[in-house]
Amino acid sequence: MSLSEVEFAYFFPAFFLLYWVLPRRAAVQNWALCAGSLFFYATWNLKLVPLFVASTLVDFAILRGFEKFAAPQDGSPLPTDERNQKRRRALLTLGIVHNLTALAAFKYAGFFADSFNQAFGTSLPVLRLALPVGLSFYTMGRIGVLIDTYYERLTPVRSLGVWFSFVSFFPQLIAGPIGRGSELFEQYENPRKLTADAFLKAAFELATGFVLKVYIAAQVGTELVDPVFAAPGTFTRKAHLLAVVGYAGQVFADFAGYSLIAIGVGRLLGITLPDNFQFPFLSKSLPEVWRRWHMTLNRWLFDYIYGPMVTGDSFMRGRIGAGFLVVMVASGLWHGAAFTYLLWGLLHGLGLLAHHRYDLAYKGLCRKNRVWVERRRSTFYQVAGWMVTTVFFILTLIPFRAPTLAAAGKFARGLWAGGNLPNPPGTFHPYLALLLVVIYHVGALPVFEGFRKRASATPLAMKGLALGAVIVFLMLFAPVGAGTFIYAQF
Amino acid sequence: MSYPLVRKRVIDWLDDQYHFGDAEKLIRNDEASFLDGGVLDSLGFVQLCLFLEKTYRFKIDRKSLTRENFDSLGKIVRYVIGHKDFKGAA
Repeated sequence: MSLSEVEFAYFFPAFFLLYWVLPRRAAVQNWALCAGSLFFYATWNLKLVPLFVASTLVDFAILRGFEKFAAPQDGSPLPTDERNQKRRRALLTLGIVHNLTALAAFKYAGFFADSFNQAFGTSLPVLRLALPVGLSFYTMGRIGVLIDTYYERLTPVRSLGVWFSFVSFFPQLIAGPIGRGSELFEQYENPRKLTADAFLKAAFELATGFVLKVYIAAQVGTELVDPVFAAPGTFTRKAHLLAVVGYAGQVFADFAGYSLIAIGVGRLLGITLPDNFQFPFLSKSLPEVWRRWHMTLNRWLFDYIYGPMVTGDSFMRGRIGAGFLVVMVASGLWHGAAFTYLLWGLLHGLGLLAHHRYDLAYKGLCRKNRVWVERRRSTFYQVAGWMVTTVFFILTLIPFRAPTLAAAGKFARGLWAGGNLPNPPGTFHPYLALLLVVIYHVGALPVFEGFRKRASATPLAMKGLALGAVIVFLMLFAPVGAGTFIYAQF
Repeated sequence: MSYPLVRKRVIDWLDDQYHFGDAEKLIRNDEASFLDGGVLDSLGFVQLCLFLEKTYRFKIDRKSLTRENFDSLGKIVRYVIGHKDFKGAA
């Protein structure tokens, strides 16, 4: 069961009613969330529920251990301090290793064994295990809390209900947003309530999310993208171009839509999840893309890998550019155990490195003459930056989407030379869908701020009509069952 | 006495690295968020930490290394002058 599937439309209203008729006490609400989340998880794979519960309990024991072996609050040195610090470090190592072992076994063991066999002609057994749903997402959330608690940036969680709710919260279980203890623990520790404002906000998040996910992503994917990526090189150049541009729209709508649905469902249960997308196609540089696209993953990668790596004491200290390469390759591998994702990550690492070098050179010019500062602010510079960024981002999606490196190469050649087959026949829907992605982004430009303010001040009845129109639109045109959820595989 | 000196050093760094003379204008007040005001992004925080460690010859411990601790000019300056290894504003 996924948040955008029909089954969820039966599950959620029942759970919502039960959740809000229960006594408004944090503990009761948390255990209700845990029960609902385990049921939700079990609909994906019942056999993996014990593993999920066991690993959650191990992490909780480690977090309790951090408090047990904590340094004294008054700062006075005790003879046991050093030993406790060693114990805490051992606990952190255990926590990270145990979480990464699960990820490595389920996600990467097959890939590395297969690659090793191909490279050296060996015959290592290749494990092909079914990936537990949401494993990549909740592993990062858990490791983040372990690290923050170890460094005492976060008070150790004391309630199993709070910890279990944080780890298993079903709206974010499958594909994030990847929450942090610092922004979520307090919410689980206190009783939740549902206000009219929150309800309305959630309704709009759900409506936008469903249009993005169920209409736009599905329409573009099935009509424009899939046929051309299935036979790269055979369609015309125009078809290749439409397919890769369409895929950019599809992957955005698919995941940003899902994230909005998750945020909306979370809000209906009184939990505010972090934002995950902020109009990424408005970015004017690659670093800006990563501040706007899959924000919770990228802040995790930059805060827990990049920051410690370039500010630590290793040889990577101060190597800002090399740090980009490492973190983006890690991001590529996080997305999937395949050479196509590795190439995608490498390309983005090199892109960030190139941008960093360019930025250093440009800053040199700015120091010499302020006219370069003004040039950077000009509309021409901003538009040029946007174009270069967008074209780079879209083209790097070729290896991200293609099943193999050879297929990616074939697609790239098709984009250059083209084949004979015309555009796949279809309806106007994918084009309308892409136009909606454009409108969604253009509407967020500062020039439309007045319009946005007027829209948010419209009477409640008008807002209700707008929501009703969205529902009718989806019922008429959403291709039920046609779409896939790209990020569920990660 | 240290506050204005450290403050100036940070402003100079912001000007040299990012704002080329406009940093003071961009920072409306010392407690305004750098992230919200577009003064510094997440990558900039990493570079700022490296700069502070090099300039004041101390180590920013992992416990303090959060964006929240370095998200405004006031917080940065107070962190620097409150650091146990701070030997005075150079």
